[in-house]
Amino acid sequence: VSIPTELRSAAGARPARRRGRFHRETLFAVVLLVAIGGGLAVRARLHREQLAYRLLAELPDAAAQDPGLRRFAASVAKPIFAEHCAACHGVDMRGNPAVGAPDLTDGVWLWGDGSVYDIERIILYGVRAGISNTRDVDDMPAYGLKGTFAYQGVPGFEGRIVGGAALDSGEVWALVQYLLKINHRPYQGEAASIGERLSRQGSTSCRDCHAPDLKGVSDYGAPNLTINVWNNGGTPQDLYNSIYFGRHRMMPAWQDVLTLEQIRALAVYIHSASHGGRS
Amino acid sequence: MSARGLLNPSRRRIALSVVGVVLGLALAATGLFQRRGPPRQTAVPPGYAALVNGRGVLMSDFISETQTETEKPFGETTAAERARVLRQMIDEELLVQRALALDLPETATEVRTALADAVDAQAAAPVLAEQPTEAALFAYYQKHRARYESYGSMQLRDLVLHVGGFQNADQTFSQADADAIEAVYQLRSGASVEHVAEHFGLVDSGREGRGAELDFAAKLHLGSQLYEIAQRMSTGQVSDPIAASDGVHVLVMEVRRAPAVEDFPTARAQVYSDYRQALVRQAERANLGILRGHAQILVTPGLSE
Repeated sequence: VSIPTELRSAAGARPARRRGRFHRETLFAVVLLVAIGGGLAVRARLHREQLAYRLLAELPDAAAQDPGLRRFAASVAKPIFAEHCAACHGVDMRGNPAVGAPDLTDGVWLWGDGSVYDIERIILYGVRAGISNTRDVDDMPAYGLKGTFAYQGVPGFEGRIVGGAALDSGEVWALVQYLLKINHRPYQGEAASIGERLSRQGSTSCRDCHAPDLKGVSDYGAPNLTINVWNNGGTPQDLYNSIYFGRHRMMPAWQDVLTLEQIRALAVYIHSASHGGRS
Repeated sequence: MSARGLLNPSRRRIALSVVGVVLGLALAATGLFQRRGPPRQTAVPPGYAALVNGRGVLMSDFISETQTETEKPFGETTAAERARVLRQMIDEELLVQRALALDLPETATEVRTALADAVDAQAAAPVLAEQPTEAALFAYYQKHRARYESYGSMQLRDLVLHVGGFQNADQTFSQADADAIEAVYQLRSGASVEHVAEHFGLVDSGREGRGAELDFAAKLHLGSQLYEIAQRMSTGQVSDPIAASDGVHVLVMEVRRAPAVEDFPTARAQVYSDYRQALVRQAERANLGILRGHAQILVTPGLSE
């Protein structure tokens, strides 16, 4: 059977046209997807810029009141915390007594009242970081080592530290027993009584920095000694070491390392973590 | 366009293209024109209270300064108080910028000192956080034991036979020397100082202090020549005659406590202080080492540092 020429050519051209149409439609679909994707990307970027702007434009503590800003701050802060902060404060933010890095989740603050503003100031300027504005009033003195500085007899001549340490080893242990007592932990009664007396003495003057009720003074970075929260460890030996050898903990200033947005985000994130994820 | 028209492939292509473009533009536009978008021409960036010639006054610093100045929480301060503080901060920023324009860090000694001290303090801050252990302190003490030598003290008599018209003495040096030798002999034999002094005409030089003196004070009073001899004497010892410009001296050491290296427990407080200071100096030197490593320093021929 012979097929007419015009019919043969029409039958052979149909699949080719279908393939061509399929390619064109695929191309249009890709263009469509790229356009939608690009639009979404632009929108996401602009949205992020808006959040970043609002995060900084708000006063520090107001920023933490906005759930959207808190989420945004967490998304910015998490990788920064992991990179710069976790080495001392731990990935879980619960601190490290070995380096005296405080737990950031317990709501207990050495400096300030734990507001976003105070947290931000500490991140900006650090603690004992050797710069202006850093939090630096005094160290915890080394009472087992700290002697009395005196000029040996002749005014005007070079002085030396004389007179031995402010506290001997037994006295330091007595103070430790007193600390255990006021934190409702097992203690030795007689030693604790001696420790309480020593804590009131002018030469040791615990209460000058830690307040008359020993509940701490955040202006000095002097911790509350009555709530059993210890940045440098709370075992009797840890407490002994803190009194005997003193403490001089520092935190670097991040003002020249991180951007203002990153610092604000960290402050909001840490503030949120210290309030159980809320503000 | 009818549903039948959409079945036409060419029309369908155009329709899909239009839909895609419109959808993409719409999504972008929702971001662009949202009501709370960041201002395109913001004079002061967020996080700052003011810009002074392009330099920012941090909002955090402004809050801190306002609270310090007014002794009130920032939320309780008035607009007038905030304005006053901000004005002060802007003024200060202007002065700082002027100081830099005048190159004060290069020309004003106080500014240079303050800057150098600030850099030292920054370098020292991390090392001061290091907690010295007892072992570290003891190792430092062992390495620097000589530093922990206590001051010696001495209580002595400095007797002198004046010569050559000094204080109206008419004897010659050789006569005085001979008398001094005899006086020393008698003193060493147990004769009292008063008896020997009266017999040979020895008088107190007036150089020694009253009672026991620390070594550095005795050195000031006696002078180097006599002190060098006195510091090697022990309690009860009588020196040989010592020829000096004003006559012949004889030293009688009544009580001598020689300097001694303090044991570690006694010296620990000073060791602790010195140890920390050493760390600070070490950090400062290391910092300078880095700075020098990155600096180009040219010294004029004939000079060295």
